[in-house]
Amino acid sequence: MTTHLASNRPDGETLKAFESDLNKIREETMAKVGDKDARYIRKVIRIQRGSDIVGRLALVLGFFNPLFWIAGVTLLALSKILDNMEIGHNIMHGQYDWMNDAHINSRKFDWDIWGDGESWKRYHNYEHHTYTNIIGKDRDYGYGLLRLSDDITWRPKNRFQFFTYLLLSSFFQFGIAYHEVAGERIFAGKPKNNSKLPISREELKQSFFGKIKKQIFKEYLFFPALAALISLPMFFAVLAGNLVAEFIRNLWTSSVIFCGHFTEDAHTFDEAECENETRGEWYYRQILGSSNFEGSRGFHILTGHLSCQIEHHLYPDVPAHHYVDMAKQVQAVCAQYNIPYNTGSFGQQYWTVVKRVAKYSFPTEEEQRIATN
Amino acid sequence: MNASSNGLMQQGWTWFSQALTQHDTFQGYFQPLMQMFAPQWSTDAYRAHIADIRDEIADMYTLVLKPKTGLIDRHWPTFQAGQFIELMVEKEGARTLRCFSISSSPAYYEKTGLIELSIRIQAKGRITPWIRQQLKIGSLVNISEAQGQFVLPEAALPKAIFPQPVLPKARADDQAPEKYLFIAGGSGITPFRSMLQQLNSPENPLDIQLLYYSRNNQHVLFQQEFEQLAQEHSGLSITFIDGEESGFICTEHLQAYCSDYYLRTAFICGPSPMIQQARKVLAELKVAKEKINFEFFGAAPVEIENNTQSAVRFQTSAKTVISEEGSVSTLLEQAENVGISPVSGCRIGVCHQCICKKKSGIVFNTRTQQYSDTGSEEIQLCISVAQGDVVLDL
Repeated sequence: MTTHLASNRPDGETLKAFESDLNKIREETMAKVGDKDARYIRKVIRIQRGSDIVGRLALVLGFFNPLFWIAGVTLLALSKILDNMEIGHNIMHGQYDWMNDAHINSRKFDWDIWGDGESWKRYHNYEHHTYTNIIGKDRDYGYGLLRLSDDITWRPKNRFQFFTYLLLSSFFQFGIAYHEVAGERIFAGKPKNNSKLPISREELKQSFFGKIKKQIFKEYLFFPALAALISLPMFFAVLAGNLVAEFIRNLWTSSVIFCGHFTEDAHTFDEAECENETRGEWYYRQILGSSNFEGSRGFHILTGHLSCQIEHHLYPDVPAHHYVDMAKQVQAVCAQYNIPYNTGSFGQQYWTVVKRVAKYSFPTEEEQRIATN
Repeated sequence: MNASSNGLMQQGWTWFSQALTQHDTFQGYFQPLMQMFAPQWSTDAYRAHIADIRDEIADMYTLVLKPKTGLIDRHWPTFQAGQFIELMVEKEGARTLRCFSISSSPAYYEKTGLIELSIRIQAKGRITPWIRQQLKIGSLVNISEAQGQFVLPEAALPKAIFPQPVLPKARADDQAPEKYLFIAGGSGITPFRSMLQQLNSPENPLDIQLLYYSRNNQHVLFQQEFEQLAQEHSGLSITFIDGEESGFICTEHLQAYCSDYYLRTAFICGPSPMIQQARKVLAELKVAKEKINFEFFGAAPVEIENNTQSAVRFQTSAKTVISEEGSVSTLLEQAENVGISPVSGCRIGVCHQCICKKKSGIVFNTRTQQYSDTGSEEIQLCISVAQGDVVLDL
């Protein structure tokens, strides 16, 4: 059920104090941002580039020993996960723009995934981060495929949505690429006359296919063909390796992302209630609509610090590796103002996601009653 | 035909690089790896190391730079006397740029591989004092190619540098040397030092009058060097003017120290009020506009008053917006008001879609409540308000 914000929110005074406490956490963190952050992100990029290159070499060495092939797949998956999560996602949020480095910059960066970075920034940074969990406005809510709240009318296809969910996770990179250009609108829908998009449908299609062509060329043609120079069967070994690495990355990113907004207690909101929000009200909604999970440092890095989804939504442009420290402070502030703060282990959180997907596969009692009458 | 096939090749190569590395060039992908072995290695700048640091006068120092040569460094192309470079240093993880005229000559660079930048410490500046403290001999910095139009016409330069068709001897001897009037203010002397060094060769007849204004007689950069140069060349005459004693440039100064100013091509470099004043004086004396060259010099300190009148220049669209004193509108609103529609989104500084390259000037960030740096950097249009004059790549 959509959370009725007005009746749940603390009063104006309290929200003001809450806002200034959260602002303070941001200021104190930003004061620390500098040399260390630049060294950190460059180091992560080096590890990613290293595993990319070594991983691809190892795949070819699978020719001598299959263990190499397994190491290659692992390294390639690691490279893609780091590239998409800790590097790409965070750079494209503008977290490192202050470095003034042409290649570590939200305007230039593109990631190693089918979705085109430019299109992703357009919808994700704006639609998703501004209208988080507002039904009808945040297209990320269920990706238009899954019913994750009873505010969305049940349809017969929802009966199979657990299967849909597994498919979406496995082919997540296609899902994202299609979703970010609003594929269902640009390929099937009628053009809107009052479209507010700063870019035409043709351009959207072009960036969609342009990026996918490049990725297909690289993963399914170029590197397999290079290996085929050694021996023909290696074409298929490398192709399979690349596919498996992509599959691992797809499952991982989709699971991390689902734990961020679709856990059992993550709230949804109504558009009308979010108009003219103050900063404090916006903060409040972001916290209610997001959920965290805990883990070791390495684990946080592999999630791109989306394990701290709450902090990411409060401070999307603060370099993400500060989120773990900020989370402790944010949680304390929330406790002080009696604001729910949703966190748990990855296992716990993921289990509630699974339950949610399953739960909303079925119509509400009300809907069942109407249907049977 | 050839050009277009080259263009196609280039496009294909870019596509190939994007497909394999998600970067427009392979170098971009490898940059962080290269930096493990070659610190500061960068696809969009040259590397140079500090060969020496000399303190000149109280608030000025000279950096002697040696652009790197070798396998992994592109060769730094040479420059023309009077041009400037961008010096890039990494301060607290952020690359910061400042423009400085090269104060040594191209001939010196050909001979020694060294270039010199003479830098004035801005009392309230963030970078110039920091560079002096931070950089040591051997430190690495990044530099750009030389830029700028504040250069002497090629004909004036020694033939060794710009070989020209050999003229019949008699005619060459007949030609009187081109006459120049150089007006320098404070650290604005640096491009002139480069020009004078470059012109300093026996077979090169000079006819130069240099008026060199400094704050007082304690602040005269390169004084000895210039005095010696003037002794060696009868065609070079230098007047050192003490600002405290004689004041700003005026008609009287010009008439007293360079009575044939109307025969000369003028070059002016110094702080912007001085340049404005010098241009006014020359205009009043009916010197043709084409004969006046000038170069603004020195970055304004970051401390400035709020809500001053500002001019925003949208460079790509060739539009300028002048805002009234006291009015506060964001750069995004200003752009939209003149019909430029930059990509934008949330308009509250969250989504980073309206990021734009600021070429120069100071902006106030309404979200962080901070003033920007003066140099070139990325800013968010929707939360930036111009403070003084700003140039945008838009």
